[in-house]
Amino acid sequence: MLLFRSEEWIDKWCKRNNLGRGEVLTINNVWELSKLWYQNRLSLEYHGRSVEQAEEIFRQAGLTSKFWYIQR
Amino acid sequence: MTSETLLWQVRHFVYNHFADTTHAPTVNETARHFNISTEEAGNYYTELHSRHAFFLEPETLTVRMAWPFSAVPTIFKVHANGKTYYANCAWDMLGIPILLQSDAILEAVCTESNDSVQLEVKNGNIAQDIAAEDGGSSGLLVHFPLPFARWYEDVVFT
Repeated sequence: MLLFRSEEWIDKWCKRNNLGRGEVLTINNVWELSKLWYQNRLSLEYHGRSVEQAEEIFRQAGLTSKFWYIQR
Repeated sequence: MTSETLLWQVRHFVYNHFADTTHAPTVNETARHFNISTEEAGNYYTELHSRHAFFLEPETLTVRMAWPFSAVPTIFKVHANGKTYYANCAWDMLGIPILLQSDAILEAVCTESNDSVQLEVKNGNIAQDIAAEDGGSSGLLVHFPLPFARWYEDVVFT
């Protein structure tokens, strides 16, 4: 996940690397996602998470598109 | 044969070693810490790698990534608690101060434009590009190139 100054730079990077565009979040969106994703990572009780638990975090962070979910 | 309890203790040790020192413990250091053989410690490393708890360099027992930490230098730096950490990506750069529960200065380079940016984390909040002439009012963006379903196909690219 790379950092960009603007949408235009993302488009240039995608074109140059012949890659489709993924999802773009603001730095504040990612900050909120990070709080949910990383807050307990140093704990002995952290044993990883299931796909369902990861998807619940995306839901809590307001990420609702198919990009964030594994189709079942 | 690995013990499930010790497995997660090893994961905990690797992560806290990273937080304390900015680098991952070698398999020998982990073996000494738990008073087990190097072979046994290596088995735990391999099992934790297979469970995506951290990522080993291919064909080795060297930890490359313990998300959000990177064992190799990257363009995403985090200065916190008097130390400098490297993150695997822009998202992980934000994850390090959250994991450490500390204030931090984040330094990164924007892809394509090559602009250097600096962000400050203070009291649980993030201030945008504090070095920018416009005071950071122009929002920085993070691009996630692959959908969640494909994140573990190639973790270095992801």
